[in-house]
Amino acid sequence: MGRSLRGLFGDCHLGFFWSLDVGAWCFLRRAACVLLVVSPLLARGVGSSDAQFIAGAQAYKNDDFERSAVVFRQSAARHPASGTLQNLGLAEWQRGKIGPAILAWEQALWLDPFNQSARVNLRFARKAAQLEGPDLSWNEVVSAWLPINWWAWLAGMSLWLAVGMGTLPGVLRQPKAAWHQALAAFGVMVFLLSVPAHLGVHSRSRLGFVLDKDTPLRMTPTLEAQAITRLSAGEPVRRLRTRGNYVFVRTSRSSGWLARDQLSLICPPDGKI
Amino acid sequence: MVRLRVWSLLLVWSLELGAWNFQTRGQTAAPPTQDPLMSLMLSQPKIDVGAPVTAIAWFDPPVVGPGQLSFYRVTFNALEESIEWNPAIAAPPGLELKAGARGQVLQPVGVTIEPRTSFNYRARPPAAGDLTVPQFSVTVSGKPIVVPAAGLRVVQGVAAPAPLQPVLEIPVPNLFVGQSAKVRVLMPSSAAGGPQVLFQVELSGDGFIVDKGAMRQSVENTVRGGSNFPTFIHETMFTPVTEGKLIAFAQGYCAVPVTPGVVVTNGRPAVPAAPAQYVLLESEPVELSVKPLPKKGELPGFTGAIGAFTVDPPKLATNLLKVGDPVKLSVAVRSATGFARLVAPPAPQVREWQVLAETAEGEPTRLLQAQGFASFEYTLIPMTEEAQSTPAIPFSCFDPARGAYVDLTIPPLPVTVRPGRAAADWQAILQESATTGEAEETLKLSGLALAPGRYAASLAPLQSQSWFPLVQLAPAAAFIGLWGWDRRRQFLEQHPDILRRRRARRALRREWRAVHRAARAGDVPRFAAAAVSALRVACAPHFPAEPRALVGGDVLQLLGSSEGTNGSAVVAVRRLFSAADAASFAVGAESPADLLVLEPELEQILQRLEERL
Repeated sequence: MGRSLRGLFGDCHLGFFWSLDVGAWCFLRRAACVLLVVSPLLARGVGSSDAQFIAGAQAYKNDDFERSAVVFRQSAARHPASGTLQNLGLAEWQRGKIGPAILAWEQALWLDPFNQSARVNLRFARKAAQLEGPDLSWNEVVSAWLPINWWAWLAGMSLWLAVGMGTLPGVLRQPKAAWHQALAAFGVMVFLLSVPAHLGVHSRSRLGFVLDKDTPLRMTPTLEAQAITRLSAGEPVRRLRTRGNYVFVRTSRSSGWLARDQLSLICPPDGKI
Repeated sequence: MVRLRVWSLLLVWSLELGAWNFQTRGQTAAPPTQDPLMSLMLSQPKIDVGAPVTAIAWFDPPVVGPGQLSFYRVTFNALEESIEWNPAIAAPPGLELKAGARGQVLQPVGVTIEPRTSFNYRARPPAAGDLTVPQFSVTVSGKPIVVPAAGLRVVQGVAAPAPLQPVLEIPVPNLFVGQSAKVRVLMPSSAAGGPQVLFQVELSGDGFIVDKGAMRQSVENTVRGGSNFPTFIHETMFTPVTEGKLIAFAQGYCAVPVTPGVVVTNGRPAVPAAPAQYVLLESEPVELSVKPLPKKGELPGFTGAIGAFTVDPPKLATNLLKVGDPVKLSVAVRSATGFARLVAPPAPQVREWQVLAETAEGEPTRLLQAQGFASFEYTLIPMTEEAQSTPAIPFSCFDPARGAYVDLTIPPLPVTVRPGRAAADWQAILQESATTGEAEETLKLSGLALAPGRYAASLAPLQSQSWFPLVQLAPAAAFIGLWGWDRRRQFLEQHPDILRRRRARRALRREWRAVHRAARAGDVPRFAAAAVSALRVACAPHFPAEPRALVGGDVLQLLGSSEGTNGSAVVAVRRLFSAADAASFAVGAESPADLLVLEPELEQILQRLEERL
């Protein structure tokens, strides 16, 4: 493939390419090669995910909620998307799986806080199941205003905007104008405001939800441990630490140990659903 | 000591006598009373559930013509809960048995009461013949009980008297879901003309509810065959709750004299010589078509009221109010079709009023029907003196006759509100209730998302992924590069000779290559010109001067310190400059051909000059 690509691009004598700098030309050629190789793979992945999305929706319309949940879960595992997770939650809810439904809707909001349908579904489910929402600190609430990845880009861009506006006029021998300083101050302000949200995203990633009803919250990380209380499906917990196959969590009522498979974090450790 | 003993005996005797006296008086003054509830229970006849269970089965009537209705009845003297009844009965070929009514009644037998559980099946034999339902076994209280065989004779041309049946009358065959209708179960008089009373009347079927609170029973004269006969009438309200085709029939018990000859018993007579038995009767099934309420055109305040309703003008206790003082608003709702399922509209949530609904939802329909109207009452509390009228209370009903919703909104009434005590907690309650109301309105499960929507490569946030910090280092590297470039530029500005020497070295190498090319080509003029140019470029930074402005003397001045005046390098430089000057200024001059032999010498000169750059 490399030879054929070289044949396509390497030996051409077009004036436009010759007018380019040699280094830039090499970079462009390599980028084109990478794109040619990777784009079919990407397209195949996205296309497959879309097909699964459509199949899941069709199964849901046919009242085959079990299959719909399976297909939506596969699609979300391949391409985590807010709409897919919203539909996964609906299918799980229709199957009577409250815990996985609430988890899916929370993950939909984790990716896209502007998804009003998922938000309303969560409120509906919590009202119907008599469940509380997670108790969020102020910076966690702020972090839920924007999609999680926006905060990272916002902080990075605002920081480098401030640095650039502070240094570039001097480097480029431009007189320092008021708008340079205003932009620098704005960048610093946005960066400082995004720092608490960053921390909020980090702490929110430890939130988890109980999957099954009447899940025992144990006093010690053993199978024979005494149950402190029993948790409802969909009840929020906060992961504090892990030991073996057990996770020490804090709920709104108490703290204790849960088996790993009894809860699922809003952001799994490997980032996969 | 002896005296004391005697007196003490007297004292004891007197005390005992007094106590005996008190007891005697107490017994005569208050005779023991019995608990009235216990007395009532003891007065009831005993329910005999310990008797051996027997079953009887028969066809009613036992002789019919082809296509005529006959009931296959099975009765046990046992409680219904104790019978494990399988509805599928092995019918003889050519006879279809359709399951009908089933029920339980307590029948007096002598001084006790015996439970009777009956199962009915409808049979319409298509052709003449003798048909027999064979005996089969049913488990009752864990023991097998044999249901005896029962025979049906179908004789061509025989018109047997129809079995005794009540009649179910539903005046409106097409109903909407939730629309209540008055239904009647009629039990015609006996052949002798006397009324026959049905009891434990029920409507059987799926998809509807019956309001037993609206039940009414009476005996009225009805015309049959031109004569008046007393007819037992049972009225109740029937409300379908599911759409589609519904099938309902009425059932009830009636005391019917049973001829011993038609009863086939299990071993011994189960009902010994009773003048009448309670027989479970049932009407013909009635099919109803139930339509759903239309979604289109539904008005605010619809609480399920279906029928023809009118709302009287609302009445306010007073129209002169103070902020914070409650006032009663009452409104009467009238109906020509009944008040079943009439629910008051919810109190509206408005900023200027606190509205509390006080409705008589629990009043029985019969009472409402008797008084002719239902009353809705609201308590209104003005929250501000800006309120100029009571809030309109949305209310609507569905009129099945027109097939449309009717607006019955309770209109606002003008009021004058004066300043008064406006408790802060009222505002808080009002705001909270308003918020709750909005939330309840929007709380419902959404539909499917039509597209996957916003997606990410992973649920893990970017800052926790290893590549993201590296990406953030790229701008840092760029800024560091810019800073270094600026520092270098400033340094070069302060030391311009570095740049001149760098450029001179670059130009010298270029000219040097030109010298080589000219020498290889044997082009003497180009060789001389390139050699002179190289010498000028190599010497220019030392003066500093424009290279083209230098002459051979300037080059020799730089070389002079080490070569003297007659060195080979000096000679070579002079010859090269002379040849170049001649080629530039003399007319027709030719460069000496042996000039090319100076190339090694020129190489050494240029190397020395390059080292000094």
